[in-house]
Amino acid sequence: MVKRSGRASSTPGAGGWALLRAVLAEQKFGLIAGMAVGLAWSAGKVTVPKLTSLAVDRAILGNGSLAFWASLIAVMAFIAGIFTAWRRWFAFRESRLTETKLREQLFAHVLRLHVGYHDHTQTGQLMSRASSDLLQIQGFVVMIPITASNLAMVMAIVVILFVQQPMLALIALAPLPFLNVLATRFSRRIHPAVLAVQQEQAQLATVVEESVSGVRVIKGFGAHEVTANRLRKEADDIRTVSLDAARVRSSFLPALDLLPNLGLLAVLAIGGHRVLNGSMTRGQMLEFMQYIGLLIFPLRNLGMTVAFGQRAAAALLRVNEVLTTAPAVADPKAPVTLPEGGAVGAVRFEHVTFGYSADSPVLREFDLTIPAGASVALVGGTGGGKSTVARLLIRFYDVQSGCIQLDGVDVRDLSLRVLRQEVSVVFEDTFLFHDSVGANIAFARPDAPQADVEAAARLAGAHDFILELPDGYGTVIGERGYSLSGGQRQRIALARAIVANPRVLVLDDATSAVDPSKEHEIREAMRTVMDGRTTIVIAHRPGTIALADTVVLLDDGGVAATGTHEQLLATNERYRVVLAALAADDDVEEAVS
Amino acid sequence: MFAAGAIAEEDKLDRAETGRVLRRSLQFAQPYRRTIWWAIGLVCMSTTCTLAGPVLVKFGLDHGIGSDNARALNIAVAGYVLVVIIAYFVGRGQYLAINRAGEGFLRDLRVTVFDKLQAQSMAYFDRNKAGVLVSRMTADIESMGELIQWGLLQFVGAGLLLVMTLILMTAMSWQLTLMVVLFVAPVLGVASIRFQRQSNAAYLDVRERVGTNLSNLQEGITGVRVIQAYGREAEQERRFVVTNRALYGSHLHSVKVSTWYFGLVEWSGIMSIALIVGVGGFLVHHGSVKFGTVAAFVLLLANLFDPVQQLSQLYNTVQSAAASLHKLYALMDAEPDVAEHPRPVQLPSEGELVAHAVTFAYDGTERPALHDVSLGVKPGERVALVGPTGAGKSTLAKLLSRLYDPTSGYVTYGDVDVRLASLASLRERVVVVPQEGFLFGGTIMDNIRIARPAATDDDVAAALVAIGALERFQEFPEGLDTEVRERGSRLSAGERQLVSLARAALVDPAVLVLDEATSNLDPGTEAVVEQALERLMTGRSVIVVAHRLTTVQRADRIAVIDHARLVEIGTHDELMALGGKYHALASAWARSQPVIDPSAGR
Repeated sequence: MVKRSGRASSTPGAGGWALLRAVLAEQKFGLIAGMAVGLAWSAGKVTVPKLTSLAVDRAILGNGSLAFWASLIAVMAFIAGIFTAWRRWFAFRESRLTETKLREQLFAHVLRLHVGYHDHTQTGQLMSRASSDLLQIQGFVVMIPITASNLAMVMAIVVILFVQQPMLALIALAPLPFLNVLATRFSRRIHPAVLAVQQEQAQLATVVEESVSGVRVIKGFGAHEVTANRLRKEADDIRTVSLDAARVRSSFLPALDLLPNLGLLAVLAIGGHRVLNGSMTRGQMLEFMQYIGLLIFPLRNLGMTVAFGQRAAAALLRVNEVLTTAPAVADPKAPVTLPEGGAVGAVRFEHVTFGYSADSPVLREFDLTIPAGASVALVGGTGGGKSTVARLLIRFYDVQSGCIQLDGVDVRDLSLRVLRQEVSVVFEDTFLFHDSVGANIAFARPDAPQADVEAAARLAGAHDFILELPDGYGTVIGERGYSLSGGQRQRIALARAIVANPRVLVLDDATSAVDPSKEHEIREAMRTVMDGRTTIVIAHRPGTIALADTVVLLDDGGVAATGTHEQLLATNERYRVVLAALAADDDVEEAVS
Repeated sequence: MFAAGAIAEEDKLDRAETGRVLRRSLQFAQPYRRTIWWAIGLVCMSTTCTLAGPVLVKFGLDHGIGSDNARALNIAVAGYVLVVIIAYFVGRGQYLAINRAGEGFLRDLRVTVFDKLQAQSMAYFDRNKAGVLVSRMTADIESMGELIQWGLLQFVGAGLLLVMTLILMTAMSWQLTLMVVLFVAPVLGVASIRFQRQSNAAYLDVRERVGTNLSNLQEGITGVRVIQAYGREAEQERRFVVTNRALYGSHLHSVKVSTWYFGLVEWSGIMSIALIVGVGGFLVHHGSVKFGTVAAFVLLLANLFDPVQQLSQLYNTVQSAAASLHKLYALMDAEPDVAEHPRPVQLPSEGELVAHAVTFAYDGTERPALHDVSLGVKPGERVALVGPTGAGKSTLAKLLSRLYDPTSGYVTYGDVDVRLASLASLRERVVVVPQEGFLFGGTIMDNIRIARPAATDDDVAAALVAIGALERFQEFPEGLDTEVRERGSRLSAGERQLVSLARAALVDPAVLVLDEATSNLDPGTEAVVEQALERLMTGRSVIVVAHRLTTVQRADRIAVIDHARLVEIGTHDELMALGGKYHALASAWARSQPVIDPSAGR
């Protein structure tokens, strides 16, 4: 039943169900155990009305032993109690395990997806794959053992009733399939209504968020009326769609509650007359009523399972889509090793063409050779491709044509791990993890001794302020921890790259938020770090640019000029214009503090 | 099953607080009192119908079958049919009534809380985290919505059903009822209370771990570039597995808690049947009860067990809803500290804006952010505020525009204390242009009009013309009707600032308070923004929190703020000649400037 309903709705997304099958195959013992104890529960549960009926006819209305029949029922109480608990336990344990494992699969896969994928995918979307979609799937998996035993119970009861009184059974059971139909239809109709409510709530939340984060604008212009009116509209909308949902509930739920009563009614009317003319006992009549009562929940549940299955199918499809997206940047089949010894860190861009979209290249036939141990500053206007050079070098993206070599080896022939160990990029936009300062610096080498961490922090000009933090190197930072200034964050990111001890260090506007006075201190230290190490500096402060042996002016996707800072300043008009534009935004405040 | 709510120990209300919340809610629900009475009436009727079924079965068994009376049986059947029909309509009615009253109540709550929130001062928004304020308006109210949609009916209905079932059972056979209650009450009662406590704790634990796990997940996704750049995918994965498995463990614990409870409920349900059959049979033998009573008891048992389960599950939810309401009422009771004077006066159309010895300390701080500062800005004068970060420049700007009221001292405009002025007239005279152009959902037109809702489309266009930015936006495919939040039509930082300046131009104030942007714009836009700003400032008094030397040099006077005090004031030349703080600032600035001039080196 479960499988069938699954297949029926899965025609467009067979991949989704294949994914679920693969995960569930690993858990087959738990699921089978869940179904087995479920069947034991059904057996115990189904016996009770029969025993009650026999007790009524033989002991209450007859001369049998009351104690005997009552204790038989009591035994069933233990069986049903223990097995219902076990059934629940297995069902939830397995479904949570499925959810947990799928989330780990998703996380591992997403971590390895190429940067281009992440550029186009919102964090929120991936988050909802790993949370609400997995919850839908979990909600379905939990139903598998439960539905299986419910189904067994339904069939057993139907057989028992038909064997005893076929006609009465037919009439009494006739309304019950509608319970299943109604429950399915209800689930289907209430789902969009609930989504509509959530959507309206999200819209109201947007108005509230805007009003709180834009409070300066609102206060500044005294614009309360405008936002208040918006909120009133959203609040009214929520009420409208909530009442729509309530209307759906009001037309289904009472019917669901009352349908089984039609069965009871049939038993009372027809069964009653049968008892009167002697073709049925009173115990049997009570038995019929009890059985009909027992059928209510499982039948409703079947309806829910179908609806849950449909939602899970859609969720599986979305999860599978992420899992089947192949990383566009991956390890080569046979990775080459980098040459060791001698001067290492030679970088060569050869006729490289690349653009973030195929038709608008950022770099065109770009050539650049940096000898091992040399340092180069890349200078150019916004969008000129400076940062792109750094991103291509560590294979955040692959070139469209041409090639990039590190120590004579095409970067695409190296394992990603090796490449990224040997090339460290410090980005302007620093991302730090919710962890201690020390762990953040030692990110690339978690086993680095404290001495190395502190040495790196000193070189990055971070040691002193770190010691002033509440717990020094143990201070937890990040979004939910101690908040650092932009300059402090950049200095920690710089230390993080130094600890990695790469062959090639790329500083992509890595000190833009550092106070110029402090940057001066770092500059001295940076000379030590850069000494003998290939370094690419992308910066707009002349002092930082001057750190490099050579300056390369990028323009229009290619190299416009090469030379030392002084040479270019003296000879190149374009260089002066670009530098002036870049420097125009240095401000008084930084200079002062 | 209703999604279990949970409540942290410290959020639980004591009896007095619960009473207050209840009274306040009743008062707040006044407009819906007729609907509420309907709902109560219908819930009572519905419960009666639920109980009528087994009673009619008993009647049919005892008076019809037991006495060989076909007519009595038919009466019972007919009665049952009637009950089912009535129950259906009553059921529909109670859903609609409860939801109508509940959603109306929530709608009013949303509107009232929001209005009250907006009336709060700037200081209030600084004091309270944005996330918390938003969650009051969303999560707190939504959780109550869920309670209304699912829980309230069940909670009331379950309680009523439990009580009425017990009354009915006692009326039919007190002996049998006593037996059932003596057996069920201790077992189920104790178990339910324990379950309610354990599940609350387990649910809180799950919720916390879900939160941690989600933040780790999010950190992994947002930090993916750094993780890949250092090749640390495997380590991050291992770290995630730790919290993910901890969440799994927490889920398992919460399942364990509910598992024994559900097993126990199942067990006691069937045990009660055994008891009724045993004891009931004994009583039938002795003639003290009829068989129909035994049958009715078996059928009525469900009415005892379902409500107990529902109540124990809903208890936490109801408690947490009460706690939410308590917080919301607290928010509604907070008096705004920068409020309009009860008999406000109009400000003159022109005048000097003067701070008279103002001192200001942020809430919870000892040291004043601004200490005894006096400063006057004449009509048409341009004053630049400079000084290190945190010296108090922005605070002075906020006091001058009455986003805050000073702790001591006062601010006048045209010799009128701004605290006596109507907020509307103040906002017409003095406009604050925030650092970054914040955009609201809607079109560019809507975004500018927020400054003066009554402005026509032509007024908005005129404001854009005034700052020379109309063409820039008309170039957009949909012109001023471009939706700012839609994909692909994101406005650049410079364009946002232009919107912000256009808002100010639309108000056409006498005084502009500017917090100069620190973020960099691309050189092309920079020029346009610069020009727009210049046009906007012309002919107005301007107070600018300055970050750039060019801005400072263009000011008529420069006020240097350092360590919460006004230390120097005068023209650029005067202050340079003075050789004090400003001199030091300007020289440090000049040193860090690149020695480049496009014309140099020729």
